[in-house]
Amino acid sequence: MQACSLRAKAWSPYVAGIVIGLLQVPAFLLINTALGASSSYVTVGGTIAALFDPAITQIDYVAKHVAPTGKNWWQVALVVGVALGAFVSMRLSGARRKAISPIWGRALGTANPLVRYGVAFGAGFLMLFGARIADGCTSGHGLSGMAQMAVSSTLAVAFMFAGGIATAFLVLRRI
Amino acid sequence: MSVFPAILIGLAMGIVFGFAFEKARVFEPGMIVGQMQFHNFTMLKVFLTAVATGAVVLAVLHGFGLIKLAPKPTFYAADIIGGLVLGAGITLAGACPGTILAQIGAGYRDAIFTLIGGLAGAVAFSYAEPALTPLLFTGGPGKITFMDLTGVSYPVLALGLAAVLVVALVLLERWRPWRADLGADVDGDFGPAEATPSANVTRLKPAE
Repeated sequence: MQACSLRAKAWSPYVAGIVIGLLQVPAFLLINTALGASSSYVTVGGTIAALFDPAITQIDYVAKHVAPTGKNWWQVALVVGVALGAFVSMRLSGARRKAISPIWGRALGTANPLVRYGVAFGAGFLMLFGARIADGCTSGHGLSGMAQMAVSSTLAVAFMFAGGIATAFLVLRRI
Repeated sequence: MSVFPAILIGLAMGIVFGFAFEKARVFEPGMIVGQMQFHNFTMLKVFLTAVATGAVVLAVLHGFGLIKLAPKPTFYAADIIGGLVLGAGITLAGACPGTILAQIGAGYRDAIFTLIGGLAGAVAFSYAEPALTPLLFTGGPGKITFMDLTGVSYPVLALGLAAVLVVALVLLERWRPWRADLGADVDGDFGPAEATPSANVTRLKPAE
């Protein structure tokens, strides 16, 4: 097996992890920020919501996130790029995915796609509501905050795993 | 930096980020749920390797005086409650806020609903933020770091963290080789045949 060919279906998690960690260099040197993902949901969500409720931009938090600054829209471009990169990688390796991962039928106890879509919507809602309360997600707190030795990030990541593990055992079935 | 070049840099970095997510298989729901149920360790390996790498490169950049650190402020209740809710969402989504986009790129249709839910959650939080601020985002010890708590300099602590993580990862890999967690369709799925039409699921033979 070629370890890191662009056409391989899987790389060692250590090689991929090093690539991800190295992305901190351009983030800090070029954009003057750390890797993160969850703020972009406020930038995009706030911009869309403002079409229906222009008053939302009077909330300082929203105004700060939708402002046309390099940092705000860099992160939006970053997550768009994530979709493109994953698509290209998948096409190169041919690791096509089914519409829904086969694990969900077992984890949720039903193969009904509508149940999965509903759970996915709720999961996305919880994920971003929680990430905004904590002021960061697996990237901003996990990758960046822990590497910077921040107390807030270490605490948030510990409780993120606690919440994730509790949910996996109490709500989902064993996959 | 002005918006246009920042967007180009973001796209380029995102493509690398998404490529690495897809090759690592860490965007797979089977890897995330498997990690949270303690029988798949791909997520932890990618995550801790990226933290260790980030700590080393930031220690070097900081040591040369090229960057300023930007730790987030500590609000105990917000970090704990937010972390718990975020974690519950990650398990039910089988993704993180960043890897939702990798799922969409790789072709998972349910991830579109996760994305819409995520945007709705961010907007709901935005409306609630003024009311939550006095409850969750006031007071606290500020932007404290382990340098403040220990008095040790950042490069020393960061390199120490990286060293500890490397030892932990070597032991983890020795206990559980990464290929054992891939599954026949590289999605962390080791389920019974009824869930996978391709029934030849063997634990130690990833398709390559």
